[in-house]
Amino acid sequence: MTGKELRIVGRRVRKVDGIELVTGQAKFTADMKLPGMLYGFARRAGQPAGKLEGVKKDEALKIPGVVDVLTAEDLPGPNLIGVLPPFDQPVLATGDIRYAGESVAFVVAETREAAKRGAAALDVRITEVPPILTVDEALGDGARKIHENGNITFSRKLIKGDADKALAEAPVVVENTYETSFQDHAYLEPETDLAVPGGDGRITVYASCQSPFHLRGLIAANLSVPAGRVKVVQSNTGGSFGGKDDVAVEIGILAAAAALRTGRPVLVAHERGESMVGSNLRHASRITITTGATKEGKIVARKIKIILDGGAYASESPFVVMKALIHAAGPYLIPHVFVESTAVYTNKTYAGAFRGFGVPQVTFASESQMDELAAKLGMNPLTLRKINALRPGDATATGQVFKQSVGLLQAIEILEKERLPEKPEDPSDRYLYGTGHSCMLQGISNGAEGVDVVGATVQVSQDGSALVGLGLTELGQGSRTVYAQIAAEELGIPLETVTVRQVDTDSVHDSGPTVASRSTTVGGMAVLKAAREVKESLLDMAALMLQTDKKEIYFQDGFAILSKNPDARIPLREVATAAYWTGHPLMHLAFSKAPEAKYDHDTHQGSIYIAYNFGAHRMSIRIDRWTGEVRVLEHLAAHDVGKVINPVGLEGQVEGGSLIGYGYAHMEKIEESRGIIRNANFADYAVPSIKDRIPTRTLVVEEANPTGPYGAKGVGEPPVAATAACFANAVSDALGVRFTRLPVTRQDILRALQSGAATHGGDKNG
Amino acid sequence: MKISFRCNGKPMQLEISPETRALDVLRDTLGLTGVKEGCGKGECGACTVLVDGLPVSSCLLPAAKLEGTEVLTIEGLRKPDGSLHPLQQAFLDEGAVQCGFCTPGMIMSAKALLDETPRPQVEDIEEALSGNICRCTGYGKIVQAVMRAAEKSEEGRHDG
Repeated sequence: MTGKELRIVGRRVRKVDGIELVTGQAKFTADMKLPGMLYGFARRAGQPAGKLEGVKKDEALKIPGVVDVLTAEDLPGPNLIGVLPPFDQPVLATGDIRYAGESVAFVVAETREAAKRGAAALDVRITEVPPILTVDEALGDGARKIHENGNITFSRKLIKGDADKALAEAPVVVENTYETSFQDHAYLEPETDLAVPGGDGRITVYASCQSPFHLRGLIAANLSVPAGRVKVVQSNTGGSFGGKDDVAVEIGILAAAAALRTGRPVLVAHERGESMVGSNLRHASRITITTGATKEGKIVARKIKIILDGGAYASESPFVVMKALIHAAGPYLIPHVFVESTAVYTNKTYAGAFRGFGVPQVTFASESQMDELAAKLGMNPLTLRKINALRPGDATATGQVFKQSVGLLQAIEILEKERLPEKPEDPSDRYLYGTGHSCMLQGISNGAEGVDVVGATVQVSQDGSALVGLGLTELGQGSRTVYAQIAAEELGIPLETVTVRQVDTDSVHDSGPTVASRSTTVGGMAVLKAAREVKESLLDMAALMLQTDKKEIYFQDGFAILSKNPDARIPLREVATAAYWTGHPLMHLAFSKAPEAKYDHDTHQGSIYIAYNFGAHRMSIRIDRWTGEVRVLEHLAAHDVGKVINPVGLEGQVEGGSLIGYGYAHMEKIEESRGIIRNANFADYAVPSIKDRIPTRTLVVEEANPTGPYGAKGVGEPPVAATAACFANAVSDALGVRFTRLPVTRQDILRALQSGAATHGGDKNG
Repeated sequence: MKISFRCNGKPMQLEISPETRALDVLRDTLGLTGVKEGCGKGECGACTVLVDGLPVSSCLLPAAKLEGTEVLTIEGLRKPDGSLHPLQQAFLDEGAVQCGFCTPGMIMSAKALLDETPRPQVEDIEEALSGNICRCTGYGKIVQAVMRAAEKSEEGRHDG
């Protein structure tokens, strides 16, 4: 017994904040009701493009219960939000209307119903302008400019070697164009913020949100007060998946401005329809790829053009452009790569962050083409991927070389060892069977997208328990549990005695946004360092008490134990109490700072990410040729996660992310006509139900990542992309026809069967 | 108007306006905020409560219809000694909870199922929970949790 082996990290543990959730005690923002609380409701433009001529408040103010109406000129600050300066999005419209969900006025009232009636009663004058609804229109010669600087939001290039030359010389070339649709986050809790004036010149905003410091900064700026006057408290958040950032900022500013004007708390709780129309979506895309290879299947070059429909505002488009750019060539060793990635403004609901962040789009395109190349070469699709898979020491598309934690080959080999599911007897010849593969990579943490620092505190109390605080948020993904495990592991105390506090901006260090699968990796590292610093302090104390050198002591199960005689032990509560009385520090703030991204901005060659998660998926499906119905018989999801911290949480992330990927690939489609979303509800926008679930099996590769705690790296996003891509390949395998557009719905499949496009199916019985 | 009903075992007498939804009475008047509103249209299941043992979307139910009924919400599920109901325990043990917003409604639908069908097949669970959307878990662990709770309840009956 040395205390060296991991005792809590790697163990299957329950969610540390789970009891409140299963008993209904957890407080989400809309569960708070304060004396004098008002309800806010926004009036939206209702048309995709136009000039706002004016808003008359009189009729709304006559509605019983309506207390106040805010328009753009009532906001005390710049009325501007965004992610990357210069910001382009107003909180309340002034002048240009750029999408139908744009808020033009904000009504607060004694009841939610009165606020809604007030919003409907407003006299809003908009002069219509023909909307720009496709990227081609937006990029066309002489197109009306949606924003002052034109219709290109952001565009970047990645240049490695000479792709044109290599393609011209390549013996085998395939080319195709792929498209993907918008997708809604559809978290179960719609966006909700509650602003409470403090009476002390401060304001507190309780928010269902992902990045509290982003809210604080933009709320303060738009109220024209110093950031320290605003306190943002993250309430329990009912899912986010990238979505509760811009919109949480928008309604946070509205609630706070109204709260300051009225001196009363103001709650904004979006309805489901507002959540779909008035907050960001996943970018729709069109991606053209040309791949050149040798006859033996070695890829020599890829040339890729990505166009992302970013809708009305920039939001996260610049970073999604970059992420798509960097990941488009796939997890392969390719000497020559050229990628151009561009986001375009249109008069539609803006697109932004959504689990995967540009990677699901490019992975679908890239992995579809891998299968097309395999077919052309007459090669097994998985073998083709294996030949080209990145190995330790290989250069990625950006020329970055990882000497370790490149576990793609191992992930592929796991799939190879798994036998395909048996096809049952089918005398009716009713079913078609198919199997699809996908390989992918996903950059961990912000990398080139921004600063990568997390500050975490660990505080030990005199009773030997610990309190952990950091600025990254629990959104359901289980990060609190991971942090608690790490603190418990390092301090040698029971998991049950660790508390991970709610995030409020007064009490924790700004840790950057909770995005990019970075919580476990960068956040976990900060907790680990803070815990180790506190431990050092406690070891000093214990060494005095045990009258030995601190190297001779380890902590385990809440005791300080002498290595050479484990019976000699002191409860840590006594050590902590003694430390308090003797002035040994019991709290530390530690930072994990990822190595900085260093790259050429014109070519994107250089070190971009601290690590990649690598994945290989296989999906086997059965298609009913009479109805087009798909049943997933097996779904294997192998990921190199570096080191598993909590297997239950890992499976949860992989299973949940996979179903979002499946919905994306097969079911979910934003139906829009003339710039208005027509299916902004759960009856018409098909989120997978329990009957649509897929039998995902999580398979683990652990190639230690030197930049993560215990070697861990994140896994939140990767399963989305891999699942969507292997689904599309499985359908193509079953039907013998390639679909180049996501989603591939049941109707698409049926149409292919009935039209005779499906070479394997045909309309025998349909 | 006045209504009286029993909620989580306790008698309630309330003055309500006729257009009030059962969801609002439970959340705003009685403070039972474990009952969640996810869509307001009966499409997501987050507001599911049991009315006379049957799962109901409380966002679609006029509060007046609660008259004379027995209502059970997630808050009424713990045993008198404060310990968790087998479904709550199983959701926790199996990792069937992520963000937890769908969880109360999901557990109430599952409770209605197990009350009716103590040893359900997977198909029974799919049917019973098909009106409850979960965006986080992928549902696999939810199915496992309901199965496990059924087993535990069965053991409990044999032991008891």
